[in-house]
Amino acid sequence: MAGVKGSAFIERSMLSVLLFLKESIFAEEYALKKGFLQAIDPRIKLASFLLLLCAAIATTDVIFLAGMYGLCLCLAVSSGIELLAFLKRTCLFVPLFSVCIVFPALFGTFSPGEPVLAFGVFVITRQGLMSVTLLLGRIIVSVSLAALLNMTTRHTVLLRVLRIVKIPQIFVLTLGMCYRYIFLFVEIIENTYLAIKSRIGSPIHYRRGQRIVGVSIANLCQRSFELNQQVYSAMLSRGYRGEPRQLDEYRVRPVDWVWACCAACVCALAVYVTILRR
Amino acid sequence: MNAKEVIFETRDLHYAYLGKFPALCGVDMRIRQGEKIAIIGANGSGKSSLLKILDGLIFPDRGDIFAFGTRLHEDVFCDEDFSQAFRSRVGFVFQDPDVQLFCPTVREDIAFGPLQLGVAPDEIKRRIGELVRDFGIEELLDRSPYQLSVGEKRKVAIASTLAVAPRVLILDEPTAGLDPATMRHIVDIITKAHEEGKTVVTATHDMHIVQEIADTIYCFGHDKKIARYGPAQEILEDRQFLEAHNLVHTHRHRHPDSVHTHPHDHAEHHH
Repeated sequence: MAGVKGSAFIERSMLSVLLFLKESIFAEEYALKKGFLQAIDPRIKLASFLLLLCAAIATTDVIFLAGMYGLCLCLAVSSGIELLAFLKRTCLFVPLFSVCIVFPALFGTFSPGEPVLAFGVFVITRQGLMSVTLLLGRIIVSVSLAALLNMTTRHTVLLRVLRIVKIPQIFVLTLGMCYRYIFLFVEIIENTYLAIKSRIGSPIHYRRGQRIVGVSIANLCQRSFELNQQVYSAMLSRGYRGEPRQLDEYRVRPVDWVWACCAACVCALAVYVTILRR
Repeated sequence: MNAKEVIFETRDLHYAYLGKFPALCGVDMRIRQGEKIAIIGANGSGKSSLLKILDGLIFPDRGDIFAFGTRLHEDVFCDEDFSQAFRSRVGFVFQDPDVQLFCPTVREDIAFGPLQLGVAPDEIKRRIGELVRDFGIEELLDRSPYQLSVGEKRKVAIASTLAVAPRVLILDEPTAGLDPATMRHIVDIITKAHEEGKTVVTATHDMHIVQEIADTIYCFGHDKKIARYGPAQEILEDRQFLEAHNLVHTHRHRHPDSVHTHPHDHAEHHH
């Protein structure tokens, strides 16, 4: 019975991984919507989000960070993202894990200073409280910005605009191909699993299950190797000679420049406020 | 016809897959400009290997292949000018569209070939616009190839090859596994390409489309040599020959009011 349970564990794990891959990598529900961020030129969007990230990292003002988070929420709403989905994605897991990590910094042992609250020998200091709030604020704002960029830009587009941060063409092309073929392999894994299930028909011992998974992985590796050779032939056949060229068809409109200026202003303001506080 | 330029000529071609599984055992053929050729043969008879040799993707173990008067071998493709000229003139549609569609979006896939060959961006956009209109795939342009059906993938694969504007179009089983309507569309695309002056070489075992896509047939035998070549009509009428090479089959089947026996060109072609 334990063996059968083990087998169900392997099955559940495999299906969950496949589901996660499909949902997280291929879901483009928000990116295909018509909204403010979706309409911004992706190169400008990437550059402006990098600037906003810099602002979030540079500032030491919690109120400024709160303002930035408010901006993120406004951007989410104006881009057609459901607020609840956005909050779940940005405020639940990552900050929760961060709290666990920064928790000791609340106390006077690690952050000496003015006591605010005491639990016996454990004293929470104002300095500790401020540094934890600042760190958590930065994390939430950074995660929100990354989530906004990710949710409102198609992954394929995001890969292409990586070139503006001087990532080599070959790297971008390879990433794009990885993205393209992950789905093919996910399908192969799913079909292989169904084929095995249809032939076995009953729960199997986990040891046998492990063996089957091992064989499937080996089979997949072999297939990916063959596919790799064939894809290379297909590239050669269409004139590829080691230096890929890609179509650049984005056009920057005035509204994109306005948005870029706003992001630059936020970044400059963050630096200014930080300097002013010193 | 004889005055036309010879595009491909093969002499006693031998090729073994992985160096030990014979795929071609002495193939001789000559393809001229503007011809419509079908290469037919049972599964594993060597059709795909021959097409890859014609496209300069693999090279024979023995024998010679000439394209546009130049003998093809690995070294000749090191010459960038020759390689670029050859790739601009010869387009190859792979049997498995998943192999050919390696870019993240359909638009990038169609643009890939002309971009590598140095075609100007405006011209590439013009070609993309024209091809997607002709193929009826406008709405697929920004989709990823994994989101397409087999028929759509096949159309995009042909469009991505035609985007190079090749003089010669080589297709490896372009209609395999397609529904009748899509198959019809692909046949129309091939016919149109030929009408535009392209030389078309198609490997297939869908015998019912051969008459439309070919004037001349090269038929592979079980010995991985060309068993026979000649006018399409003549070979297609020789049922005994086609049956001996696994290209048609005869069986009994039932209609609502009768049962009869006659040859069939392919699995779906029952009447």
